Formats: sequence, structure tokens, C-alpha cells
Amino acid sequence: MSIKDVLSPFLAWKKVFKDPVTVKDPFNDRPGAPRYRGFHKNELDKCIGCGACEEICQNAAIDMVPVEGIETKDGDSGLRPMVDYGRCCWCALCVDVCSTNSLTLSNEYTWIDSDPDVFRFIPGYDKKEWDNNELGWTKPKNYDLNNYDRVDMAELHPEERDKSFIEFVKGYSKEQAEAEADRCIDCGLCTATCPAHMAIPEYIKAIRNDDMEEGLRIMYETNPLPEICGRICTHRCETVCAIGHKGEPLSIRWLKRYIADQVPESKYKEVLERGLEITPKSKKVAIIGSGPSGLSAAYYLSRMGYAIKIFEALPAAGGMMRYGIPEYRLPYDQIDKDINYILSCGVEIEYNVRIGKDITIEQLEQDYDAVFSGTGLHLGRSTRIPGSEHENVYFATDLLREISLGNEIRVDKKVVVIGGGNVAMDITRSLARLQNKKYGKVDVTATSLETEDIMPADREEVVEAREEKCIIDPGWGPKEIVIENGKVTGLNVVKCLSVFDEEGRFSPKFDEAQKKFFPADMVVESIGQGMDLSYLESIKDKLEFSDRGRIVVNEKYQSSLPWLFVGGDIIKGPDVINGIANGHTAAKGIDEYLSSK
Amino acid sequence: MNEILEKIKSKYEITDVLQKRDDLLFFSIGKKLLVDILNYLKELEGFTHLIMLSSVDWLEENKFQLTYILNHPVNKYDIAIRVDIDRDNPVMDSIHHLWIHAQTDQREIKELFGIDFPGSPGVNDDFVLEDWDDIPPMRRDFDTLKYATDNFFPREGRKSYDTKEYMKSKLYPDQG
Repeated sequence: MSIKDVLSPFLAWKKVFKDPVTVKDPFNDRPGAPRYRGFHKNELDKCIGCGACEEICQNAAIDMVPVEGIETKDGDSGLRPMVDYGRCCWCALCVDVCSTNSLTLSNEYTWIDSDPDVFRFIPGYDKKEWDNNELGWTKPKNYDLNNYDRVDMAELHPEERDKSFIEFVKGYSKEQAEAEADRCIDCGLCTATCPAHMAIPEYIKAIRNDDMEEGLRIMYETNPLPEICGRICTHRCETVCAIGHKGEPLSIRWLKRYIADQVPESKYKEVLERGLEITPKSKKVAIIGSGPSGLSAAYYLSRMGYAIKIFEALPAAGGMMRYGIPEYRLPYDQIDKDINYILSCGVEIEYNVRIGKDITIEQLEQDYDAVFSGTGLHLGRSTRIPGSEHENVYFATDLLREISLGNEIRVDKKVVVIGGGNVAMDITRSLARLQNKKYGKVDVTATSLETEDIMPADREEVVEAREEKCIIDPGWGPKEIVIENGKVTGLNVVKCLSVFDEEGRFSPKFDEAQKKFFPADMVVESIGQGMDLSYLESIKDKLEFSDRGRIVVNEKYQSSLPWLFVGGDIIKGPDVINGIANGHTAAKGIDEYLSSK
Repeated sequence: MNEILEKIKSKYEITDVLQKRDDLLFFSIGKKLLVDILNYLKELEGFTHLIMLSSVDWLEENKFQLTYILNHPVNKYDIAIRVDIDRDNPVMDSIHHLWIHAQTDQREIKELFGIDFPGSPGVNDDFVLEDWDDIPPMRRDFDTLKYATDNFFPREGRKSYDTKEYMKSKLYPDQG
């Protein structure tokens, strides 16, 4: 110990009569700096409970907890962050990563209490005096931990693509897919919204790890048609993506396609059946229709060991995926890739057999232990306006089917399509290609009751149709197909003011004074599809139907006849992913039913 | 600042020149020339004040980057000099003989990044950490969350819900 150490405490006494440097001031506030990082604030209705704040917290100070009054729904987990201030170090990473900007820090930093438990609370829910503080830490404007810009997908130029049926979306490269996958914050909000509840963040993670085989295995757990869904899924998952709140949602659909594209068909068996043991069961299941629901049910039932036979009325498998969706969106070799694998799992299929005509439903009941029916919506619906019975007025579904079958269809120089859904866009764009081939010129107009903002078609379909020189003129109600000298000359329409009434029922209102005439040699109706249930005629009395004519099924898609399960578009949808989901659920239902029989 | 930049360029090989503001110039220089150029700028060009010394861990490039910021009190402008050092051999020459307070910066960087400055007084003394028994915590391969979880037990009664599982239990308990 030096002499200085001994003396220094006494030297401090020389300052005893000086003014203190610090001032004791119990009366005035001592606010934090404007950007001070104090206690959290959270706008509860803006927060979506994605959990990114919990994930990034390096001190494990945040828990995601249910909060009274916040409902779990599409795009919102219903959970909200609870902060433990015994661990929080005020670094504000949680604010910087917040996908909605709901979480901020106030500049309030003083709070004294003798009860340690009060320092754990749910910002925004447990009311605090700093909840309305304007000052504090918000996410800086010039940088972001999240990446809000989507990796662009390469497409054929409209000039090139409207000349042929070649697939125009080119798919991601490895670098592009990894960059896009890197934007995912792994919150999993998308999984709940996907009708098949696919493990989306998990397969996106497989892309980041460059493990395509793992990605494929994850996808097949809930979806045996990834090449197809990777191209044409309605991708509702992307509508709830947390990143979509402030930027462009992840391209989940294209990432799914990327994984499936990377694994060649020849490797599927090895990748998907490694270590797989199936105990064959003695029971047999018949499946009517080889659309998404039928294929999905067939795949999952075959995995459980059942003997499966599919009956398909048309000469190839796929249902609406093959006969409804144009080749430029979904090439046939990609449909075949998915279906070939399912058929390679021991699923038998017989083509050109129509139940109700070639085989009765009773026969199926007799020969099989259970039946799944997913016969889809293949009948066109008519507007029933004057002139609609003319021979040069067609249904979109019939034309699309003929194109897929390779048959030539009638294509006139001037065509009008009635309808604003995806099927309407499909036939509009298909006709444009055929017109281009035949006449070197596109002249097709699509018109719908719905105005542009509420058109049921996917936005990109409308944009792409226009790029391909189709005219989309929405907001008109069809009145009459004009026929002169036995020939179609066009379509008379009136302005549609609203499509639905206050209770949301279909009840269009028109302004008859605002008229328009679309000249055309040919008219195509695409206002929705109906189901053909004639094959069930003989057992109709034993089935229960809803007011709207749908077969009533339980949550496992079992009808009131225990051996008959029904799914696909005739129950829910219409779209591919719902069909896949209910085919999977029905497979589990059939297994339960057959196991207890 | 053009004049001083030209002067430096005539004497030293510098790269990555960036005029960040009118009164702030950045450039990089090789490790061996660093003490030399600091000495020159301090003694001959009037950059008499060392504002700070900081470090960044460029893990992917296997290097640390040190940044020395000097101030010219008369002309009122700053120069920031960057030096890359090998992450596998994290040693740098000390500059405490030029500015005595640099030893505090160097002691801090030694503790937080594990970069040694041999000869710097007290460089091995604890700075803010006591009895630290892990890799230096500002290195990017230090797992902060794991350290916090291993060393600080969670408060009793804490429970967190997994987003996906919770949504499943609420929205589709029987499916998926």
C-alpha cells in the first residue's frame, strides 16, 4: 500500500465545503434523450404475433403469450410479446426486427417497485404511463434487419410468350432461391393459412441449407403434388407473410417449385422412401377421379398400406390440373412427374372409365372397403342470357379440356369471354395464343360483373393477360348475345353497379342506361362451374345434401354413407391446394373407418 | 481535405478512400504502416487528437478491422484509418506511446474481441468483465443467447408459446 492510498480518503475532505457537482432534484422530471431506449410499447392491433422479437432477443427476455381479446386468426397468431426486464438489456433488436413496426421503446427509464414480478409485463396490454410517449426508440429509417424486396422471377417476354404454350415462368436459380429463402423470418404464420398446413418455414430452411432432399421430404408430408403447386397454387400463404406487411411477401410458391425442380424424378424413390417401411393392409379403397384430392387421398392411403385403385373418366390423370389449367402455366411433363411418383407407390389407375356409366357406384361399394370420390367441377355454367344457346357460345371448361386433349377447337378472329375468375383468364390467354397462331393477331376481350378491384382472378393473371394484348374490361353485366342471320355478332352489356347485397349475397345491380357493345364472332362463358353428380343418382336418397346442393360430410370428409368419402372441389375450394388438403384428411378418415370396421 | 489526402497519397499506399463528409475522410492502410502513418499525421500534420479506436469482426472474411479516428483541432476535420488484421493471428502494434489513453481502448478491445496489443500497459487486466471464462463476447461466433441461457436461470413462472403450434391448437387441432 502506498502512502497515496492512505492519504487519498482524507484529501477528499478538502472538497466538503464546495458546491456539489450533482444536484439532488426530487421535483423535476429527468426525461431520457429523444431516442433513448426505455420501456417497451406495443400497438396490439398492429402486432401480428409473429414472434420475431422473441427469436432475436439475445437474452431470452421475451415470451410469446396469449392475450385476452386478441383472437387467433389468419395472419395473426393471437400471441403477444411479454418482456422480462430482469433480462432485457435494452438493445432494441426486437424493435429493429419487428415486421409490422408495432413494437417500439419509449424514452421512459425510471420505475421503482419492490415487487420484482411487476417487471414482467405485456407492452400495450398491461397499461403503462409511457404508452403514449411519443419519444423513444423506433426503427431507424435508413436500415432494416429484414429484406422487403422479392427476388424477381425471370419470365418470357410477353411478345414471346403469347405465341406459344411454352411455360413462361422460368424458375429460380440457386443463388436467387437462396437469397429469397434468406428473407424468411421463420414465424410460421403461413402454415396455419395454407389449407394443407404445409411446413413452409421448414422447407424454406432446407433451401437455406441447400438440402433439397430434406426439402422434398418435408413437402411430401403434407403435399404429394409439389411440382404442380409450385407453379399454380393460389398461394394464400403469401397473403399472410409477416414480411408482406411492409414489403413484398416471400415468393413461397416459387420456392416450393425450386425444391421440386432440383430433385430429378429418378431420385424420388430413393429420397422419399429411405428407411420407409409400409405394412400392407388387406383392405382396398376405390378412388373416383384423379384430380388433386383423389391423388392426395391415394398417396397417403398407399403410404398407410392400403391397396388403391383410381378410376379416371378421361385418358390421362390430373383432373382439372391437366384439363383445366393451360400448359403455359403448368406444363404436362411437370404434372406427370408428380403423378408418376404417386403411381409408382403401388397406386393402380384405370383410364377412360366413367363411374355411373361403365361401372356403377354399387359395384364399387361391393368390390371395395371404402370409396373416395373427388369428381370435381367440370360442367360449365351458363349465363342463360338470350343468345347463349347459340352453337358458337362455349363453356370455358369444355374448351380448356379440348385444348389439353390435343383437339382443335374453334377460334374466331374476335372473341368475348364472360367472366373474371382464374378460369376466365386461362381461356382468355389460351385463346390469345391460338389466335396469334392462326391469325397472327390477338383480339380477345374478357368482361366480368366484378369491377377490377374485386375481380376474383389473381391479380398477376389480369396483369399478364393484358401484357399478352388481351383486353380486360371489367364491371359489365351481360344482357344479350346478339345474333344476326344466324351468326354471333357480339355481346350487349350494361354497367354493373354492385355484385353483392349488404348481406354479402350475390345480387347484382345494374345501370341500364350505361350500355356497351362488344363485337365478337364467338362468345365463351366462364362464370363458374357446376358438379355432375349423376353417378350418385342411385344412392342419392341415402346421402344428405346442404341447402346449396353440396353433399354434407363430416370433418373427415365422410358422407352419411359411412363407406363413401367425398372431397375436392365438390366439397371445398375450388382450388388444387384445398383438394390436396381434404384428400389427405379423408385418407386419415378412411384409415380410422377401416381400422374400426 | 484534398490537400492532406494528396500529401498522404504521395507518401503512403492507401486504399478504399471515402470522403464520408466534408470534414471526415476514410481510408485503409496495411497493418505494417499503421503506426508510421499515425506518427506522421500526429507529429507533422497536426492530427494531435485520437478520438477513438474501434473494432469490427468480419467473421466470413476471417479478419478483424480496426478503425482509428484522428482529429485535427485547428482545421476541424477528422481522418479515419482502417486496418485489417488476420483473425487467426489477432495481434496489433500498440500506439500508447503516441496517445497514452489509447491503452484504455486497447485494453477494452483485448477483452471484448481478443485482439492483443503487446506492450500496452495493463492490456491483460479486466476491463468490464470479471472472471470471463468464454471466448471474447464481441466476436461474432460468441453465442450470446446460449451464454445468457446457460448462465442466467429463467424467472419462475415464465412460459412461451410456439407460434405454429399455438395456431394449430386454436385453428385446426384435428388436422395437419
